[in-house]
Amino acid sequence: MSVKTILAVGLCKGLHLAARLLHRGGTAMPGSRALKLCPDLPARLAKGVEILVITGTNGKTTSSRIAEQALRDAGLDVLANRSGANLLSGITTELALNSSLTGHCKKKYAVIECDEAAARTALGLLKPKAVLVTNLFRDQLDRYGEVTHTLRNIREGLEKTPETVLCLNADCSLTASLAGDLPNPVVWYGMDKSAADPAAKPSQLSDASRCIRCKTEYEYDYVTYGHLGGFRCPKCGYSRPAADVAVTAIEELGADGSLARVRVDGEERRLSVNLPALYNIYNAVGVLAAVRQLGVSTEDALHAAATFRCGFGRMEKFDLGAGGTRVMLVKNPAGCNQVLRFLSSLPEELELAILLNDNDADGTDISWIWDVDFELLPGFGDRLKKVIVSGKRAADLAVRLKYAGLAAEKVEAEPSYDALAERLGKAQVPVYVMPTYTALLDFRPQLIKRCGGADFWEG
Amino acid sequence: MELKICHMYPDVLNLYGDRGNILCLRQRLGWRGIEAEVTELPIGEQASLADFDLIFIGGGQDFEQEALLADLHRGKDASLRSAIEDGVALLAICGGYQMLGNYYETAEGKRCDFIGAIDFHTVGSEPRMIGNYLFRCGDKSGGSTVVGFENHSGKTRLGPGVEPLGWVISGHGNNGEDGTEGVRYRNVFGTYSHGPLLPKNPAFCDFLLQTALARKYGSAELAPLDDAAELAAHDEMVKRLQV
Repeated sequence: MSVKTILAVGLCKGLHLAARLLHRGGTAMPGSRALKLCPDLPARLAKGVEILVITGTNGKTTSSRIAEQALRDAGLDVLANRSGANLLSGITTELALNSSLTGHCKKKYAVIECDEAAARTALGLLKPKAVLVTNLFRDQLDRYGEVTHTLRNIREGLEKTPETVLCLNADCSLTASLAGDLPNPVVWYGMDKSAADPAAKPSQLSDASRCIRCKTEYEYDYVTYGHLGGFRCPKCGYSRPAADVAVTAIEELGADGSLARVRVDGEERRLSVNLPALYNIYNAVGVLAAVRQLGVSTEDALHAAATFRCGFGRMEKFDLGAGGTRVMLVKNPAGCNQVLRFLSSLPEELELAILLNDNDADGTDISWIWDVDFELLPGFGDRLKKVIVSGKRAADLAVRLKYAGLAAEKVEAEPSYDALAERLGKAQVPVYVMPTYTALLDFRPQLIKRCGGADFWEG
Repeated sequence: MELKICHMYPDVLNLYGDRGNILCLRQRLGWRGIEAEVTELPIGEQASLADFDLIFIGGGQDFEQEALLADLHRGKDASLRSAIEDGVALLAICGGYQMLGNYYETAEGKRCDFIGAIDFHTVGSEPRMIGNYLFRCGDKSGGSTVVGFENHSGKTRLGPGVEPLGWVISGHGNNGEDGTEGVRYRNVFGTYSHGPLLPKNPAFCDFLLQTALARKYGSAELAPLDDAAELAAHDEMVKRLQV
């Protein structure tokens, strides 16, 4: 027992309680103060806890929700940083709140969502049983720097925990390169050629067109989306590893979910994913590969994928307007393109609201909207009734849509979130809202106010 | 009328939204009934650059720099220098801009030779210069205000007598010290304003197009366009940066 631990945990609990009484979230600040007092507090609290850390550019939150559900379905007592506070401070708060004053964690299992840059210090402290790395894409260059820097952060974190099982996306050449020079055991997951759309080609705007090892341009047997797929370097031979947990066929990509076939332990299983779009199939198989490392059965993992609810801006549904309102967080070109592709696959009429902010947490550089294929929108034709732009950089978004060729009469600006929510409430067709991170935080309360739902720190 | 546009290295110099500039050039020509033929020139392919009317070079990441320089030194450097001397209009951004100078020296003193088309050089330093910024173009560049986003660690110093593209009103520009931003030489416009510079600076875009058209057709008056959306985005950032 250490006095320092008691003080740090006590401080964390006290500050959290105070924040809640003041109706603030209190998810990161208490941990941040406690870390100043006791920098290795996460290591002390993580002792004896079987931890799954989930990191990567896109899909962290969704994957964490599926994983948490899978552990619960398996009857395991699990904690998770559900609020999305995924820096070391938020992780520390969550651990401390689940611990006794003496630093003994009351839960046996933890699912920890971890920011890519924070992984550098967090992994060595937490010494997780398994780490799931979902993918790496260009993201907020003003904050993270080049994608190879992000990769280096994760690698440096993993170097401090050599026994951790790595669950890596085999289709992502950047992610897969982590296995090369680390002693850790690796489990691969991905999509086999049989599941890929034969018409998909690698984009010129690929975030990883050249070999991470020798910088020669990759060749592809198939592409799933972005730079993901069956990559192969013609010069040094670096190529996609065979997947242990592999999607072998996609049977249905529906508006509310997907059906696929997945091979686990040499056996074909049916995978149902309770969120639409291709990228969520990736999230589901990544989790399937990862939670098995914590002793969860394939059945429980599959059940979780079929039944989980994510909420908080990940295809979150609100009963607003005649056709309902769905909210899909967008953060970077890769993710935003996937959302647009999903929308283009729908048969229905729709209205779109895009909310672009440039606060620190969104990335202050909004150049990325020019790498998004907004050119898809004119192709929606009469099905697309309206695009409403909002957020601090709405004017830039309007310019982007103009140059994408969208008719001016389809674009409207609505700076007030209150008025925007009122408007969406009167929509006659389904509404899809695409906010950046802080726009989601600001706009979601307008939806909660009208439709009910949980505050963000309750998940 | 028609402009032949070359997009150099779209495969590697495409860091953040650079293609927005090509889109902007194409649309603003198209809206005026002027044809645009865009040729992409990736690593490994050769073309006579002096045959184009307008060349665009974007910004990239350090990761691809080696492959890029190797390709450049296989003949594109000489071709680019002669195109520049011929008066081909050229917009070069961020990494593409640095590349036109003599060299880049890292903070550790390692020197990397560039094509030396214009007399300037860049030296790596800390901290990075990141953020929205604002500058005013010199008279030879149309005199308009330009809003952009800069993100560079290199400090660029222009050689004696070499003109900047403009003067910084808010932000860092070439080096954060002498108030200069970018470079202006013959029909070359070099700038640190990375990514989609042209869409929210329509006056600057039109000046660039006019420069290219004037060289090809003698004189060129561009019909005015409805730039309400573009100017709204421009003015909002000007307002933010001048507070």
